[in-house]
Amino acid sequence: MRLSSNIRGVAYTFASVTEVLAKANPPKSGDDLAGISARDEVERVAARAVLAHLTMHELRENPVVPYEVDAITRLAEDSLSETSFQAVRHLTVGQFREWLLDARTSGGLIRSISPGLTPEMAAGVCKLMSNLDLMTVSSKCEVVVRANSTLGLPGRLSSRVQPNHPTDDVQGILLSMREGLSYGCGDAVIGVNPATDTAESTAEILKAIDAVLKKNNCPTQHCVLSHVRVQMRALDLGCPMDLMFQSLSGTEAGNRAFGIDIALIDEAYDQMKKMGTARGPNFMYFETGQGSALSSAAHHGADQVTLEARCYGFARRYKPFLVNTVVGFIGPEYLEDGPQISRAGLEDHFMGKLLGLPMGCDACFTYHSSMGQDELENLKVLLAAAGCTYLMSLPVGDDIMLNYQSTSYHDIPSVRRLLGKRPTPEFDAWLNQLGIMDGLSPGERFGDSRVIRPA
Amino acid sequence: MSTTRLLIERLRQDLISADPLPPPPSLPNIPLAPSRIFPRTPETESLYAREARHHTTALLGIGHVGTRYATEVVLQFQAELAVAHAAVDTLLPDDWAEKNGLLPLRSRVTAHREFLLRPDLGRRLDEPSLRRLEAEADKEIDVQPILADGLSAVACMKSGLLLLESFTAACKRRGLRVGTPVCARFARVWLEDEIGQTTRARVAAILLGERPGLGTGDGLSAYLVYEPRVGKTDGDRNMMSNIHARGLPPELAGDRLAVLAKAMIDQRTSGVTLDLSRLSAELGEAASRAPRQPQPRTRLVEVP
Repeated sequence: MRLSSNIRGVAYTFASVTEVLAKANPPKSGDDLAGISARDEVERVAARAVLAHLTMHELRENPVVPYEVDAITRLAEDSLSETSFQAVRHLTVGQFREWLLDARTSGGLIRSISPGLTPEMAAGVCKLMSNLDLMTVSSKCEVVVRANSTLGLPGRLSSRVQPNHPTDDVQGILLSMREGLSYGCGDAVIGVNPATDTAESTAEILKAIDAVLKKNNCPTQHCVLSHVRVQMRALDLGCPMDLMFQSLSGTEAGNRAFGIDIALIDEAYDQMKKMGTARGPNFMYFETGQGSALSSAAHHGADQVTLEARCYGFARRYKPFLVNTVVGFIGPEYLEDGPQISRAGLEDHFMGKLLGLPMGCDACFTYHSSMGQDELENLKVLLAAAGCTYLMSLPVGDDIMLNYQSTSYHDIPSVRRLLGKRPTPEFDAWLNQLGIMDGLSPGERFGDSRVIRPA
Repeated sequence: MSTTRLLIERLRQDLISADPLPPPPSLPNIPLAPSRIFPRTPETESLYAREARHHTTALLGIGHVGTRYATEVVLQFQAELAVAHAAVDTLLPDDWAEKNGLLPLRSRVTAHREFLLRPDLGRRLDEPSLRRLEAEADKEIDVQPILADGLSAVACMKSGLLLLESFTAACKRRGLRVGTPVCARFARVWLEDEIGQTTRARVAAILLGERPGLGTGDGLSAYLVYEPRVGKTDGDRNMMSNIHARGLPPELAGDRLAVLAKAMIDQRTSGVTLDLSRLSAELGEAASRAPRQPQPRTRLVEVP
């Protein structure tokens, strides 16, 4: 294994694959905070040159956290498809990039090798790609899933309605949700982040949402994003639950900080299989985001892109219906500004799709990061063009509970119309029947919340 | 002629007969748009917006033009965003602390950008500040009050002094010895650990600007910790947020924070192990872990 390269006659040597992966990363304030980023642009390219000549086999042999100390590494290694891996093991990371970009490499072919890729391989090739490279490959990937409706078909762009409320006022949540539906949003999920993390409150919100969706025959799925243990208790109390949610981290220690491990998510999955109310076969919902491992000092000296890919390695065990990277939520100490947040959104979407997940993105910023509204709108279009499965949607993009800026009810129909994208087929038919949409154009009842009846 | 040239030639012939852009339709008579739904004055408010107003501060019932926002909505949104960004960008003037009779301190952060990117540096005092605190501040006290900029110097300057005064007075009424009031620049919450450790306070209380939301940039939060030491974590602290005129008024907040400080000293602990069950009447919502009430939205843009 060669860990050095020359640029204009100057030799650059790296101590480990982990260091190569970190220094090959485009600039991220979180990698600076961890003290692991390249010292300048030239060293960054030198690291990429080394990375491009490592083989996929060498990446498999050198995970960023050792097999012996980390359950997420063991999961990735033990569940790897040997037959799929054999098809790529001899390639260098640079050659793998070229194979992905080759016009003859279809989404189907990518799907066939995907079970043979470890998260480190997805992260490695990501670092050799430009933004347009990432979009080109992502848009080829095929990931189609079903809960109550079918997500991820070609030419589709779905959205989550996120009707959060600072005190979980159920009427306030329902009013926001009905407005979102009247703009054609909500075909991925109606998903509420609760202010109160109790089983009773989770069950109450789910029952109220379920009643409105049933009353209006609305073909989507619902979820309350409390801690997985709280949702499990809510199921025991007795409530409808189409999707079960949990935030994931890329290391065992990071997941411990979230209060979870593989055994717990296995248990949650089994309970949902018995008691979940969606048709399936997919019913889990995971959220991730670059920087979460470092924020709990659980990063093991690895960079945040590689750790993010490892979240996907964890997620794919459960064939989820939704995976979402909350890309600008964690703050400027991890992703400083518009270019970093945009790059991270495209990276996460690419790595998730490559690893076979139905990736959505919460394109967002907090008010202390250096990103403007126009840059955020740009990112929504880039993601949709790259085939992103779904985006969020809120009134004017303003989360009044979590205090950050995301995608709005108005943005979803705008981006769809711009790129000729439609919602899920089930939801599309429903919207047209209610007069909310007329094909790609706003219908007569577009934006008229009264068209969605209260329960 | 080659097939390709033939193909291009035919294409040119076909295209040349057509006008590259047909003339536009006749001049339209553009009607004035109906008055749009935001702001919610009684005349312009939709029924849905009126119903929603009782339950949520989310911007609902604002209508649309095509699939986009009406101009009034855009301006309101941009004003709210500008207010939030301005609160983050505002710096506490160098001489503000001394002018207001507070001992000036600063963290190891040297510039605003570094403050946003390096939370670790905002949690420790720089050398001169540490020496000055050791030399000038009262020691062996019950409560060390700390005013700080945090993520909104605007909030600190707007109602920080009022909160500090009401908190100090309320502590003294309860017989607590209050230390020298200090004001820290480029401060994160955990900076209270080193300050309180240096003055050997039993409780450290940092009052600082909270991360702004849309349209708001003047909210303060307070974090209290028993036996402040470098290395304390979030689980060791109790906090109160949303302190400003439209939320929890500073006068009332000061009193409640003093109740909290007294409880810490009585029970010799803070954070998750502090039992507040018998203090709920005095503490109000601060006793429960209940979420904070929404802030009412106000119209920001007026063109008289």
